[in-house]
Amino acid sequence: MDSVFSFCFALLIAPLFPAVIQKVKAWFGGRQGPPLLINYYTLFKLVQKGSVYSTSTSFIFKIGPMISAAAALLLLLFFPFAGAEPLFSFQGDVIVLFYLIGLGRFFTILAALDTASPFEGMGTAREAFFSSLTEPTIFTILFLFFKVSGSLSFAGFFSGPTPVALVGEFGAVILLAAVALYTVMLTENSRVPVDDPATHLELTMIHEVMILDHSGPDLAMIEAGAWSKLLFYCSFIASIIWFPRFDNFLLNTILFYVVVTLIYVSIGVVESITARYRMNLVPKFILNSFALMFFVIILTIEFAQ
Amino acid sequence: MDTVFVSIFIILAGGTAALFLSSRFVLMQRIMVGATTLGSIAGLHFALTHLLDDGPVATATFAWLHIFDLSFTADSISLFFLLPIFLIPPLALIYSLHYFTDSKKNLRVAVNYFFTAVLIASMPLVVTASNMISFALSWEIMSIASFFLVLFDYQNEEKRKAGYLYLIFVQGGAMFLFAAFALIYRHTGSFDFSAVSSMPDSGKLLVFILALIGFGSKAGLFPLHIWMPSTYSAAPSHLPGIMSGVMAKMGIYGILRIYLLLDAPTSVFGNVVLICGILTGIFGVVYALVRQNIKELLAYSSMENIGIILIGLGIGMLGADEGNQAMAFFGFAGALLHLFNHSVFKSLLFMGAGAIEQQTGTNSIEDLGGLLKKMPVTGKTFLVGSTAISGLPPFAGFISEFLIYYGAFQGVDTHRLSFLLAIFAIISLAVIGGLATAVFTKVMGLTFLGAARTKKVEQAKEVKPSMQWVMILLASVCLFIGLVPAPFIHTAFAGLRDISFVSSYNAQSFLTVVQQISETTMLFVLLILALVMLRQFLYLNKRIRWAGTWGCGFTKPTVRMQYTGASYADDMVNFFKWLTPVTRLYSGITQIFPRRATWHMQSEDTALMNYERALVRPLYSLVYKLRWIQHGNIQLYISYIIVAVIILLVFFL
Repeated sequence: MDSVFSFCFALLIAPLFPAVIQKVKAWFGGRQGPPLLINYYTLFKLVQKGSVYSTSTSFIFKIGPMISAAAALLLLLFFPFAGAEPLFSFQGDVIVLFYLIGLGRFFTILAALDTASPFEGMGTAREAFFSSLTEPTIFTILFLFFKVSGSLSFAGFFSGPTPVALVGEFGAVILLAAVALYTVMLTENSRVPVDDPATHLELTMIHEVMILDHSGPDLAMIEAGAWSKLLFYCSFIASIIWFPRFDNFLLNTILFYVVVTLIYVSIGVVESITARYRMNLVPKFILNSFALMFFVIILTIEFAQ
Repeated sequence: MDTVFVSIFIILAGGTAALFLSSRFVLMQRIMVGATTLGSIAGLHFALTHLLDDGPVATATFAWLHIFDLSFTADSISLFFLLPIFLIPPLALIYSLHYFTDSKKNLRVAVNYFFTAVLIASMPLVVTASNMISFALSWEIMSIASFFLVLFDYQNEEKRKAGYLYLIFVQGGAMFLFAAFALIYRHTGSFDFSAVSSMPDSGKLLVFILALIGFGSKAGLFPLHIWMPSTYSAAPSHLPGIMSGVMAKMGIYGILRIYLLLDAPTSVFGNVVLICGILTGIFGVVYALVRQNIKELLAYSSMENIGIILIGLGIGMLGADEGNQAMAFFGFAGALLHLFNHSVFKSLLFMGAGAIEQQTGTNSIEDLGGLLKKMPVTGKTFLVGSTAISGLPPFAGFISEFLIYYGAFQGVDTHRLSFLLAIFAIISLAVIGGLATAVFTKVMGLTFLGAARTKKVEQAKEVKPSMQWVMILLASVCLFIGLVPAPFIHTAFAGLRDISFVSSYNAQSFLTVVQQISETTMLFVLLILALVMLRQFLYLNKRIRWAGTWGCGFTKPTVRMQYTGASYADDMVNFFKWLTPVTRLYSGITQIFPRRATWHMQSEDTALMNYERALVRPLYSLVYKLRWIQHGNIQLYISYIIVAVIILLVFFL
């Protein structure tokens, strides 16, 4: 019961949080910012619309949004929000899920190339490049978490006798992993300083330019998928930082989402105080996280033999 | 064992019949295809039944030339390798029905069929050979037959050159192999494989390295891969599927077999194989990224997949050294399954490339585009193939990569070097996976999607049904393995039965994981179906319009403004330029009213460059100095022989 509730809650609340980022950015800029429910309005508006399709597109353009949205939804089904048992879980599900995110990206890229637009081509090339740089970091993180928790599933990472948590004997290395994961989160979800979702020029975008020709319900699915993916990454980091210790499910959930909100706020702060990197500096930024993880692995060679 | 010989006989009979029936083109094609299919079904039946029921190991021995024995044994590993050998070639030949349409080239096609039959017939012998004589004999038949296949268009100088390059590597590799065999024979005095493990440990490493070079040149190990791109683009399009998908795997078979025979005394074997796998995989995928010719790109992607398979084997070997059975088991099983999967999707992709070439006359990504609408079946099957080869669920490639990952993750408790190598394996698998996605979005997106870049491409039509059906069949196999992996994983596990140090491992708990992966992919497919229905519902009674692509206000877009293969890969190529040096030639814009500007990008294969610098040129200058020996005077040549015989008699008798 808890599992169903926590999944539905996560699904419903996912569109809320990106508005938090916008609010923080608006506060830094001295503006009022959009209402907190802005993304629900957007979703509602998009769903009511029809679509315009480019004459050069094929069926790929239409299935792309569905595949990326399905991959993001599946993430929510497998993630233990607030330590609650997820609906599905098995040994090795982390590998399957990160590969499913890859599948979503594969089809997003193809859908963008389907439009024959040079701008979208530019976006896809960057997306393919930057995401391939994050893969080694992600899998090194998974390896570390497997070493710590002895499990290869999201649920197993945060339950069991030695969970992945900042408090505990592996706290120091897990802190570094959390920082690396934060970098990956910024990259994979097209946030500043890798990509600027609010920029006005197509030439400087990555994710936004890839979905330039999508409209109506198709676009709604892409957006819903993107929000769910961001919630997944933030919850992943939140679960590492804050580990549920109470028997009360409601209390756990509330505390958990407070931490999640704080992470969203931190994204807003990062976006307010830094600018997007020049494109040729982005790989270095991403590889920092890998260097960090590699350092962690060297540290752990002597651990727990 | 007799079944295998019968099926070999049927296939060879088909090939020989093709030679005699060359004047009746269609009949020849049908007989060839029929014989191969019949023989292969018999062979597949034999391999599958023996693999799945735990019977005694089949053997057969013949006397040859009075002093040698040709003996063959089909243990579980041999049986597993028989599966792709008997699965892919008949499909490739069915594809050739409509690929070879020019009945004026009938004699050439007949010869090609004959050598194809010889190649197919030799491979079961390679994997079942159980002494050095029979192995070397079948290995050489295989290599020579495949050399003649590459020479199909012998009048074209490029292609002839490709054939010679291939021959050099094949025979050079065989030389190393024979050196390894000779060393074994010197220590053991026996040609039989079962005696190999009795040789002293000190000599084993050298034997292994020699054999690794020999087999690696066949498999396409870095830096012995340079024959692959030119060879695979020179051969007719149904053959690279057999060559890359099946024949190159004989190299893998050799590496695995020699490792098992030598009974690995040190951990160096595993370390070397794993490092070779990592290098081969990463170099392969980076080279694939910079290529704009689909067949060359697929050749480099074969190299990448050989790398993945070797990483699997390396993980298995590390696990065996460490006594970590789970690691060994999943490493080997993943390697075996990936090898099978790769034979399926790589032949599918090569067939797709062949279909494109047949319809448009080119294989260059820069000239194609928008083919999905003109060639829907080729396009969709190619999409399945590229998703599968990128290792993405719910297709075949993911399952085998998952097994290798699973094996590598088991290395978490090993000691220092093995631990580091296990993590390197995981990192490189992740890098290879990410870049493979980039490579195959490039091929798929720029050739099949977007708009056609030339007139000829715009007029392309779908290929003939026999080609379509083969591609559809292969694509469905890819999907089927992804959705219902259990029987295939089970078969791969059965292939490990005769590897003594993993055969006792109980993988029962993993089968539930397999079940759950299968359920997850099903769940994913269901989710997509649900979203499809949701989408249908949301678009009910909505206004759908069609218009040009949003060009950010630009009013005169042309198809040539699309992103090209070179521009797609440009950022990544810059990043990896330490692996593959790139030269760009840009004419520049000098005048106020600029003339036609040109831009050309060329990337080098570092291995090829260094061969030329460090091997070919010095060798050539040395050999040039000895040219006076070869003068064309036959009497003097005979005197050379006499002198050589005298020297031998005096010094060695």
